[in-house]
Amino acid sequence: MQSDHNVQRLPLEGTRITDFCHVWAGPHVTQWLAVMGAEVIKIESTLRPDLTRSSFAGGRKLLPGLNHSVDFAVLNLGKRSCTINMTQPEGRDIAKELVKISDVVTENFGGPVMERWGMSYSELAKIKPDIIMYSGSGFGRRGPYSDFPAYAPIVDSFVGFFSLNGYIGGEPCPYGIGGWTDLTAAQHGAFAILAALHHRSRTGEGQYIDLSMSEVVGAFIPDVIMDYTMNNRVEGLQGNRDHVMAPHGCYRCQGDDAWVAIAVSSDEEWQAFCHVLGNPEWTRDERFQDNLSRWRNQDELDKLIEEWSKDQAQDVVVSTMQEAGVMAAPSLKTEEVVKDCNLRDREFFIDIDMPEMGTVSVARLPWRLSDMPEGNYEHAPSIGEDNDYVFKGLLHMSDEEVARLRDQQVIV
Amino acid sequence: MRALSGLKVIEWGRFISAPYCGKLLADLGAEVIKVEDPCGGDPSRRYGPFPNDVPHLERSGLFLYLNTNKLSVTLDIHSVAGARLFKKLLETADVLVENHPPAQLLQMELDYEHLKKCNQRLIMTSITPFGQTGPYRDLKGCDLTCFHLAGLAITNPSGGVDDPDTQPPLRGPANQADFLGGLSAAVSTMSAVFAVEKTGTGQHVDLSQQEALASMIRRNLGEFSYEGLIKTRLKGTQPSSESVLGQCKDGTFYALCNTDRFWANWLEVMGNPDWAASELFESRAARRENWDAAKAMIEDWAKDQNLDDVVDAASEKRVPCMPVNSVKGSVNSDLFAARDYFAEVDHPQAGRVKYPGAPYKLSGTPWAVAQPAPLLGQHNEEVYCKRLGYSKEDLARMRAAGVI
Repeated sequence: MQSDHNVQRLPLEGTRITDFCHVWAGPHVTQWLAVMGAEVIKIESTLRPDLTRSSFAGGRKLLPGLNHSVDFAVLNLGKRSCTINMTQPEGRDIAKELVKISDVVTENFGGPVMERWGMSYSELAKIKPDIIMYSGSGFGRRGPYSDFPAYAPIVDSFVGFFSLNGYIGGEPCPYGIGGWTDLTAAQHGAFAILAALHHRSRTGEGQYIDLSMSEVVGAFIPDVIMDYTMNNRVEGLQGNRDHVMAPHGCYRCQGDDAWVAIAVSSDEEWQAFCHVLGNPEWTRDERFQDNLSRWRNQDELDKLIEEWSKDQAQDVVVSTMQEAGVMAAPSLKTEEVVKDCNLRDREFFIDIDMPEMGTVSVARLPWRLSDMPEGNYEHAPSIGEDNDYVFKGLLHMSDEEVARLRDQQVIV
Repeated sequence: MRALSGLKVIEWGRFISAPYCGKLLADLGAEVIKVEDPCGGDPSRRYGPFPNDVPHLERSGLFLYLNTNKLSVTLDIHSVAGARLFKKLLETADVLVENHPPAQLLQMELDYEHLKKCNQRLIMTSITPFGQTGPYRDLKGCDLTCFHLAGLAITNPSGGVDDPDTQPPLRGPANQADFLGGLSAAVSTMSAVFAVEKTGTGQHVDLSQQEALASMIRRNLGEFSYEGLIKTRLKGTQPSSESVLGQCKDGTFYALCNTDRFWANWLEVMGNPDWAASELFESRAARRENWDAAKAMIEDWAKDQNLDDVVDAASEKRVPCMPVNSVKGSVNSDLFAARDYFAEVDHPQAGRVKYPGAPYKLSGTPWAVAQPAPLLGQHNEEVYCKRLGYSKEDLARMRAAGVI
């Protein structure tokens, strides 16, 4: 059982979610809502645990058992876990009892699994008329690709995201931020659920939310899409460049794989930038005199900047540029992000005691309200950790009944 | 009734992050009044793309998309009268969304502590590159620098690069960092709406784009902290994703074979080639170890294939595989047509254009573009006269004085 003391005053306190989500995109939806104080009850079983509990992501040190995964730990904070065998009719009946006392049901199965279980939105609305149901999928619950296996990069490839991601003159590349589209889709999903809860609080009406990851990708590249729908222009690889600003790039510094990102947005910033470089002769060249010239000649401009930056220390470039009023930042490595002084000062990382793993340092959500506690950052649950709370506490089952259900592999 | 009907939002934002937050709210029914500078308005009006590449303040694709369903008023917030108008707007608002430097707000006395005085229940959502506190608070940042600083560019592209000396860490395309800032701000703002109902007092939502971005690599950060694994950017030194880009005769596909079933089915798509029987590929662990070899064989096979044949066969065998489309391919796809994804919006200046549509379909309170993006100051009279009670003569005087 998890302690409840710091959930008391959070915004979603009193909201209960029956959560069938698994892997990345789904659990991140309910991650937001759990941290905001909703009671999120994951339905899993030892026969079918959330994939991130085991070797799904793979490639790293793996410990046996279902309670040792970092991936699971960072996406399931503050949630509860109970184990129900959904392949058995009695298991589905228990899940439906839980739905009756829930506000929201969430799922992101690879196909119409909820329908197979007799738990589609229309079925659930019969037993809980004001239920809000969220379905997340790669290409939408309705439509020609509704049962197509979808992972974030597959969706990215289809929508056109890869065709923009890569070095100028090179080839389209898979996006390197693993699960990016899973997580942007998840936040849109969390927003939609919050809007639906807001609506329900005033009207008593529930509803069904069908979120397609492919449609979220489009939402984040509207200018590229509209350049096509307006002008028939198909934009290509973008490198580190911008449509308007130049210089706008990532430049080599002294040391091992050290880089600095710099963006210049006005003539004033250009003057300041040149001053930091010591106003070398080339900065007065006709080719770089105004924004348009700099943009047109940025191949040469980038080479000249890198000639200078490669002999400079990264931290000195960043601080002198910033002092001069120019946007500059180091391109941090993962191991540098965890040490970043701004993130540290704002206590962005939080130490979580995992029952079978020891301490795991976890990135928080970027959620900060001035007049609220920090959020529910209780440890991600061990599998079935909250069985007693759910079956006896919420569903009022007797010890005998729970024992019988265990014997019959319904609670497993 | 819309999902967010009745929620009153003032958006004092520029470019992408705050306007995207406002758009998410407006498209589900919130009333969003966009406060713009009388000289040129929101900078995204100048960003484009423009129909036929002719720049025009009312025809920027980025602006048109980001500001659907909003009202626009103009005011010079640096003038005394403008600041007073702004505060009057806030008196009856639930939410203010803004993305200005904290020091500027303090100096203008428009920071949360001051604004709270005009409305005790005000939610103020502030989107900044680095947050309202901390040593970077007053540094300048933009999409590019935030993306790199948050540690996202270092792993892009996926799988690393051939030459880490000449290929820099790579930003994601088209302002992902700014859009994400707006999205995270919108989720946080909604939580504050619930918080105010509970506590009765306002909230300052402090959204740092650096944190919004770093939160996205929470898995990398957790893995590094717990296991100390340091990855380099050189290709071949990172754990394999068991994926492949295959160049066919007429296009490229991307396929994932990260389960035993996907692999077995993919071999069927390729007609069960002999090479696949090698012990190099006999288990998932072996394939992860030898993926470069598998990839080379798949790439070689792909050269003689037609893209559609591969994608269709993969779809039939349920292997995750899709074409590497340009936006042209996806805009014209059967998927988006069947789901009615694009919104055809009529705008008095830009005409009828296809916009990306709803990122979610809500059965009871659908997402909708009821109004195209506003012209600059289009709703001055409606807002200042009908709601704040100024007369048309007052409006004329304020306009003459350059306040609106």
